[in-house]
Amino acid sequence: MKVEEIPPYIVDLGRKYGATDVAAKIIESQRVMIRFSNNEVTVSKVFREITVDVFLMVEKHRAMTTISTLSTRNIEKSVKNLVKIARMSPPADIYAPLPKGPFRYEPKLLKAPKVPLEPEVLAGYVERAVSTALESGAKKAAGTLSAFRSKMTLATSSEVYASQEGAGLELSIRAFASEIATGHFLSIAGKPEDFNPEEAGRVAGEIAKIADNPAPGEPGKYMALLEPMIFAILANQTGILSSAFLVDAGQSFLVDKIGEEVASKKLTLIDDPTLAGSIGAKAFDDEGVPTKRKAIIENGVLKTYLHNSITARKFGVETTGNAGIIVPIPWNLVIEPGDKSFEDLLSQIDDGIYVTNAWYLRYQNYRTGDFSMLPRDGMFRVKRGEIVSPVRELRISDNMLRVLQNIIDLGRSRTWVKWWEVEVPSLVPHTLISELNFTKPLI
Amino acid sequence: MEDLAEFIIDYAGKMGTEYAEARVQVDLRESLLLKNGVLETYAFEESRGVGIRVLVDGSLGFASTNQLKREEVKRALKQAFKVAKATSGLIKHKICMGKGNLGSDKVIIKPRVSFANVDPEARISLLKETDEEVISSASKFEVKVPARVMTLDTWVTEKLVMTSDGANVYSVTPRVALFTLITLLHPQKGIMQRYIELGESGGWETAEKWNLPKVFHEETSTLAKVLIEATRPPTGEMDVVLGPEIVGITCHESCGHPSEADRILGREAAQAGETFLKSDSIGLRIGSKRVNIVDDPTLKGSFGFYLYDDEGVKAGRRVLIKEGVVNEFLHNRETASVFGIESNSASRAVAYNREPIVRMANTFFLPGDYSEEELFEDVKEGVYMKSFMEWNIDDRRFNQRYVGLEAYKIENGEIKNPIRNPVLEITTTGLWSAVDAAGKDLKFQAAYCGKGDPMQAIPVWTGGPHIRLRKVRIGGRE
Repeated sequence: MKVEEIPPYIVDLGRKYGATDVAAKIIESQRVMIRFSNNEVTVSKVFREITVDVFLMVEKHRAMTTISTLSTRNIEKSVKNLVKIARMSPPADIYAPLPKGPFRYEPKLLKAPKVPLEPEVLAGYVERAVSTALESGAKKAAGTLSAFRSKMTLATSSEVYASQEGAGLELSIRAFASEIATGHFLSIAGKPEDFNPEEAGRVAGEIAKIADNPAPGEPGKYMALLEPMIFAILANQTGILSSAFLVDAGQSFLVDKIGEEVASKKLTLIDDPTLAGSIGAKAFDDEGVPTKRKAIIENGVLKTYLHNSITARKFGVETTGNAGIIVPIPWNLVIEPGDKSFEDLLSQIDDGIYVTNAWYLRYQNYRTGDFSMLPRDGMFRVKRGEIVSPVRELRISDNMLRVLQNIIDLGRSRTWVKWWEVEVPSLVPHTLISELNFTKPLI
Repeated sequence: MEDLAEFIIDYAGKMGTEYAEARVQVDLRESLLLKNGVLETYAFEESRGVGIRVLVDGSLGFASTNQLKREEVKRALKQAFKVAKATSGLIKHKICMGKGNLGSDKVIIKPRVSFANVDPEARISLLKETDEEVISSASKFEVKVPARVMTLDTWVTEKLVMTSDGANVYSVTPRVALFTLITLLHPQKGIMQRYIELGESGGWETAEKWNLPKVFHEETSTLAKVLIEATRPPTGEMDVVLGPEIVGITCHESCGHPSEADRILGREAAQAGETFLKSDSIGLRIGSKRVNIVDDPTLKGSFGFYLYDDEGVKAGRRVLIKEGVVNEFLHNRETASVFGIESNSASRAVAYNREPIVRMANTFFLPGDYSEEELFEDVKEGVYMKSFMEWNIDDRRFNQRYVGLEAYKIENGEIKNPIRNPVLEITTTGLWSAVDAAGKDLKFQAAYCGKGDPMQAIPVWTGGPHIRLRKVRIGGRE
């Protein structure tokens, strides 16, 4: 059986054994990854997989499975067993039949640009990125280059049968001018012409260079200018925790806040999988529903949670095309730009801090949004609109809603962010935030 | 499995690789997800494939595939070879696999109650009963629990690790893990959340032994009490007693991670970061004489259990800090060769499609000789932090923060009223230097440790006894 024939075969089997609804998707993927540190390659990897995910319902009774042995016999056995398990399971609170197709999908979103997977080409990207980082003042560089192509074919018992491709090039490079003077930057692209490893290396190297000889920072509340890499972490948190499943699970600071001002009027956060050629572009979700552009937060007001058909039924709304069969997820997060240049934003700071990156965000309480995270890489004291000196050792300890409400202004140029710490591709500008709380250890 | 692994090793030899490793791994998992008392889904996952590593001209290549026909496996091997060869020009220091006590063995952990003999109803009813206990325990304090998420996973990992230099280890390890996030709400006192994680290697008897309804009755009752009664924490310099849950996470974050030799060499510099320790830090004092921290994969029943690592090296206890002094790093064969020593078996991969890298297993503070009473009795004014929610640490593993969840004031040697969210924000040397006593008790906590690119969330235990810190600074959350 050809790979693309497997999903409809599974759907037929599921229906034959008594499932009311079946969704089967098969993903063929290939990823090549080169990791490097101390200016040299440490390991090169190739991942090739074909996996099948099956979700089925016998009305309110649900079960799902992942199959990697694709023999007819194993598939048949797995689907038969799955229907049996679903029947045995207690009913969920909601039965929402899989959305009725067939649907029309945007053709531009079904095909992905061709990205190179040849190791020689990718090694060349690494070499160029490291070289520009060193030329910009770094002493060493580390990072990951990754290229992937994938094809997903989905069939459902509600007359969906379609395939879409994905592709991307991702470079994450961290430059070191000294052990504690570092800069980090990225190049994230859905198509080769948007990929710029030299630029990523150059910016990382430049940040590292001006971050040299940092002094311990002083805790307190500061106006802070955040680089796209750090604001993307906050955008990711907001986007991911707008999933209706997580809202229902209490794992979100957006519970019961639809229609409320949860952020500054300056902030508009959109999930936009319809940007053809971007790394998070997607024609349809895991239920076969065509994706769409939607504002999660518009001018500061929370407009919607992200839904699949099950959470939509539970919340009494329409699906937003964000299935995740059980947990709805954002595809491609976009922050609407402001109209200021980086210099304009910097000039608004009389006494503040400019942070280029962060990691390790953890919540004390998802519901209230109390969290802390650690700035890393270049962090700088800003006085009278100018960067005056690098600082270190500070931690951002604040509340998500307060931080979003304290956004003063946004930059007009934006950067695609996706790396080890940022899961969902995000197009993010520089962001100016007032009264951001910084703490530090005192012994 | 054996045939496939032999085929890979033989073929890799014919291709002229300096080293080859085949890991055939199957993970069969059953998972339940209960949200607010409703079974969201019952899931099965079959993860079956092979991970291959080769050394070509000192360049390390890895390839994985879940298509196990010979032609597909051969293709994966050729890809590993090709990608290693293509990047060999970007290598200045040739990679070698260092020495290690390579095994030829079978390690099969036999469950007393096999997962196959536990029907879905038993699993579902255990979670439902636990969920109901949470609600009823909280209601006695007029506290609501509006959101509860519980997952129960059982899985069996079967794998064969074979290397071109003689390792041949077959293992079967069953594991059980429970993860929960509960949200407590009191109309006047506000909202509190708590993660509870349990995990062990073993069969279904493990889940039965946990006595989940009892555990959750105690946890929920305590949290409800803390939610209602907690006052602002005292702040400033004082003595602090940390419970095993927090001692465990500090051992993991502030001793285990900094001791990973791949971080010392900069391998994770662009992801989880480097470490304040250097190649020559063995012998460096970073804590008081009371600090003894080890990592031990061989603990029977532990979540991070193994007897051979994923390079086939026989596992043993690693003494990371001995009487406050850095004693040993965690190594795989690659880092061991750089340091000119033998691997101490810290190489782990979470699935067939991930390369083995340096990892912790079960990291814990060795018990001391103080009874719990003795730890508290001469604390005039201080704080007892028993559990936590928020924590983080910088990418050099030096600046960390733990925010207490269940925490109490200590006055004249006695544990007094609960306090809300005391903050311990401290450097690693500040933390370990402040330890002046360790209890006789020892308790472990399950966790998934995140590291690598792509990410590998690997099962570990963290643990320790109660310990006492003298004169550290406690803050409060705004």
